[in-house]
Amino acid sequence: MIDTLEQTPTLREWIEAGPGDYVNGHATPFAALRARARTAFDHLGIPTRKDEAWKYTNIEKALRHDYALLDSDATPIVDASDVADYRIDGLDAYTLVVVNGTVVPELSDTDGLPAGVHIGSLREAATSHADVVERHLGQYADVESEAFIALNTASDLNGVFLQIDKSVTLERPIQIVHVTNTDEDAFVQTRNLYLFGENSEALVVETYHSASDVKTFGNRVSEVVVERAARINLLQLQTEGDNASQVNTLQIEQDAASYFAAHTYTLGGALVRNNVNAVPNAEGCETHLYGLYILDGEQHVDNHTLVDHAKPNCFSNELYRGIVDGRSTGVFNGKVFVRRDAQQTNAYQSSQGVVLSDDASHHSKPELEIYADDVKCSHGSTTGEVEPEHVFYLRSRGLSEQQAKSLLLYAFAHDIVTELPHEALRTYLDALIEDRLNAQLLG
Amino acid sequence: MSAMLDIKNLHAEIEDNEILRGLDLTVNPGEVHAIMGPNGSGKSTLANVLAGREEYEVTEGSVTYNGQDLLDMDPEERARDGVFLAFQYPVELPGVSTMQFLRTAVNAMREHRGEDEMNVAEFMKLMREKADFVNLDHSLMQRSVNEGFSGGEKKRAEIFQMAMLDPKLGILDETDSGLDIDALKIVSEGVNKLRADDRAFVLITHYQRLLNYIRPDVVHILMDGRIVKSGGFELAEELEAKGYEWIREHADDAVVA
Amino acid sequence: MPTYTEHDLIADIEKEEGGYKYGFVTETDADTIPKGLSEEVVRLISEKKGEPEWMLEWRLKAYRHVLTLLEDDEHYPRWAHLDYTEPDFQAISYYSAPGKKPKYNSLDEVDPELLETFERLGISLMEQKRLVGIEDKETMPVAVDVVMDSVSVATTFKEELAKQGIIFCSMGEAIENHPDLVREYIGSVVPYTDNFYAALNSAVFSDGSFCYIPKGVRCPMELSTYFRINAAGTGQFERTLIVCEDGGYVSYLEGCTAPMRDENQLHAAVVEIIAKEDAEVKYSTIQNWYPGNDEGVGGVYNFVTKRGICEGKRSKISWTQLETGSAVTWKYPSVILKGDDSVGEFYSVAFTKGAQQADTGTKMIHLGKRTKSTIISKGVSAGTSNNSYRGLVKINKKAEGARNFSQCDSLLLGDKCGAHTFPYIEINNSTAKVEHEATTSKVGEDQMFYCMQRGISEQDALNLIVNGFAKQILAKLPMEFAVEAQKLLSIQLEGSVG
Repeated sequence: MIDTLEQTPTLREWIEAGPGDYVNGHATPFAALRARARTAFDHLGIPTRKDEAWKYTNIEKALRHDYALLDSDATPIVDASDVADYRIDGLDAYTLVVVNGTVVPELSDTDGLPAGVHIGSLREAATSHADVVERHLGQYADVESEAFIALNTASDLNGVFLQIDKSVTLERPIQIVHVTNTDEDAFVQTRNLYLFGENSEALVVETYHSASDVKTFGNRVSEVVVERAARINLLQLQTEGDNASQVNTLQIEQDAASYFAAHTYTLGGALVRNNVNAVPNAEGCETHLYGLYILDGEQHVDNHTLVDHAKPNCFSNELYRGIVDGRSTGVFNGKVFVRRDAQQTNAYQSSQGVVLSDDASHHSKPELEIYADDVKCSHGSTTGEVEPEHVFYLRSRGLSEQQAKSLLLYAFAHDIVTELPHEALRTYLDALIEDRLNAQLLG
Repeated sequence: MSAMLDIKNLHAEIEDNEILRGLDLTVNPGEVHAIMGPNGSGKSTLANVLAGREEYEVTEGSVTYNGQDLLDMDPEERARDGVFLAFQYPVELPGVSTMQFLRTAVNAMREHRGEDEMNVAEFMKLMREKADFVNLDHSLMQRSVNEGFSGGEKKRAEIFQMAMLDPKLGILDETDSGLDIDALKIVSEGVNKLRADDRAFVLITHYQRLLNYIRPDVVHILMDGRIVKSGGFELAEELEAKGYEWIREHADDAVVA
Repeated sequence: MPTYTEHDLIADIEKEEGGYKYGFVTETDADTIPKGLSEEVVRLISEKKGEPEWMLEWRLKAYRHVLTLLEDDEHYPRWAHLDYTEPDFQAISYYSAPGKKPKYNSLDEVDPELLETFERLGISLMEQKRLVGIEDKETMPVAVDVVMDSVSVATTFKEELAKQGIIFCSMGEAIENHPDLVREYIGSVVPYTDNFYAALNSAVFSDGSFCYIPKGVRCPMELSTYFRINAAGTGQFERTLIVCEDGGYVSYLEGCTAPMRDENQLHAAVVEIIAKEDAEVKYSTIQNWYPGNDEGVGGVYNFVTKRGICEGKRSKISWTQLETGSAVTWKYPSVILKGDDSVGEFYSVAFTKGAQQADTGTKMIHLGKRTKSTIISKGVSAGTSNNSYRGLVKINKKAEGARNFSQCDSLLLGDKCGAHTFPYIEINNSTAKVEHEATTSKVGEDQMFYCMQRGISEQDALNLIVNGFAKQILAKLPMEFAVEAQKLLSIQLEGSVG
């Protein structure tokens, strides 16, 4: 452990200096949780490729860079016009802007949010919604299980707090715009807590942007609680530049008869590790995990998913698709875990990869770990090239080879987009994918 | 002549829903009984209860089969004593060849009757003979039970199995559903050839169509878990012409037994 | 389907007279050296076998590697989905040869007790006839190289094979009579540095089989070896080497059963296969080592390294296995597809019950162009056992047009067992096509009821369904082996319904 920290001096420095447990003589919130996380991180250390879960991603190497720890107390300066660019075209949404992990109300637009919806900074919620935050924060993302969760939990725990009360239906989506803005290479930690009340319904969109060209490393943890019969879709759209790396953990806890769908799109970023962990923790849950990654250049994207079926009569479905080009590496490592009591589980998992270049790699590791007998579980994984026969067919109809490939790849990616229940977003994503594919295939 | 099958006041439920609510039925050797009823009347429940499916719970009543308490017997004992159910939806058994499956079944029955195992040559001969009975392609014997069979092949295979196992009581659960007219004729012909003085049939069906080819001795109408009307073949014709609603309206004054 | 509990299992074991069917000890005098691992022991093994200097040197190199690995905390394979105590390597006796210098001129001289052993092991009547010199012309003859406690006791049909230039003998004899061949190929596919158990085996291997098929020769009979662990507390470290020259063909069978023991016995074999241009090697295994009691105590640890290399163009290696025994199994028969257009196959049925743990699968490493591999793995879990498939498909950058198809199906009997699938798919070429499918399900109540409605007992119904599930694999085994395999599976299934 100490060795690892020696190699990542900023982390070590940070751990030792740490954010104070006391500010102006008052105990800062979550002191006990943070202390526990710090101990856990000391024990876990930064994972290496010897850890099964990090077999295909050398995260230690990625961290071995002189990142400054971003001071989230400093007032971030971001131009309002820049932020306007980050809003999704044609999307009628409530918008929350988060710069370097801190919510900036003056850049946000949450007017007209119905009663029963609270959105704002987690740090403020620690006071304004103390009970509920204490009840949930750190309860699902287990600090003992994963170094990056521990590291994040040991931080000053700032980010977004969203709470939607019982039976509230949000007609418009919420877009949360995360901006990293710094003039030195920085390590950014963001912590989000989303609480979706019983029978509520919402679509939340997270987008990530870099306002400058310096190198950044984000360690983001979001805890999502989906209460009884709530129906929630969460889109995470990662389109940062080649200098932005991140480990992004999404931890979902579902109560009975709830519906949750995660849509994870990785179209940019240098090294991106997504951990999506869903725990359908009561009967009758439905869980959908959708993912799309389109990579080029030196990009490295590792999608790690876990559906942990602990209770009977749940359904889960996972569909991931990736296109890897250039010298990029795509990884899909998905696990379906069915515990002894989770009888009548139906779990499906499918991952498909297309490799466009001989210098690109695609690794998949679709796992089933099953301890209950009355279950139906399956996974399928295919990796290959664009079907030459299909390309030929299109060329015989007058398309160029590039056009044919682009069309086929677009169709391949589009299947993921169709799963998103919002037309304007689908249109936006389709356009984004088309641009990306055209740029890639022509470039 | 004592009855082969005697059902008295049968009540049965599945997952706490009562489906059969006091069903009475008596079937004598040599007879063919048709049980007609609308969807949800309890037709398939009756077939499954008679075959001994565990999910169905009998809460009241009795079923006597050749003097024995049928409800007290395990499914395979019932089968060995001559109760055959032609399933509405025959399941597939991947990797288990029809031949291997039937040899195991035939020999289990022979052992039950205190007979020696049938040798392979004899068995093959019997199998070919019975397959021709329902025009079943011999190549199906090598294939896995019901796997990749068409709907019609599955139904014909059920009748073929019945011919192989030589039961005393054949229960056909909607064997006609999904069959085109040619297949229906083949299946019916197979059943007719199996009619005998010491064998009885219970045909469960929604429509009269099957009964045009297999003439029943008695027709019963099952509604809401009870037999509400019984009669001859003309009852089936009347039902076809007037529909189940007509029965429902006249049920109260028409209840038999 | 009614559930089968641990309690039922204990009752069933008690019902079986004498417990484990193949659990017995043959009373032959064994020549056993003291327990423990040391350079002296390695030297002693080599000396007892009258080995040349180069062989001893190779063993010693491997031994030194074992020592360095033992110092490193990470030497032990920990990624497998297994839970057991690492064996005490100093408590194992590394060599045990049957006493009375077992070199027979004819099989009549073979200890009658040994022949009886074969009978109890269920070696088919046909093979027994052959062992006593009676030819059965109806089927393909089988040559049997018998390994009892590591030393080859008798090799049949050697002469007939020799006429065609085929060498089939014990590894000891091969080292003595064909040193150049052994020296060229031993450790060439599984180097002693490969993993801890491969290193250990290289240092202390006691015997095994050697098979050489010359250019253009199709071996006219199935070659078969029965391995058994016999003397108490002895580890079994066989080493098998099969070399198939251009255009050659051989089908090789290996079957194992083990007597009942109180302490865990370690079985760490190494199998190496080299297939040259247009050569084809089929390797079939039935594994039925003693699995231990219901808590897994006393069972065999089966940690095996099996690997073949498709060296030449259009060569082919197939692994077929039925794994029903051992307390803990750790085994991944692999193929390195080096030659262009070469083919690798892996067909496996793994059955676990009681407290058995199996982590088994394969590795297909595609290096050559248009190389093809097929993986079909069927796992059946009962009792409180855990059954894992772990497989790697790796397509190298230069493996243009490589293809793989993998299918892993798991069947669960009872609600206390586990079935797991851990495939690793690594693609570094844009023209590769790799498909993987996996399903997990239990024996359907509908299927059981359907069988029972046809008068078939619950036990027979389960037998039919499980054998049906495994059929695709069992059909890949040579005929006589397939029948044995089916019987074995049925015996294993006894008591799996309540």
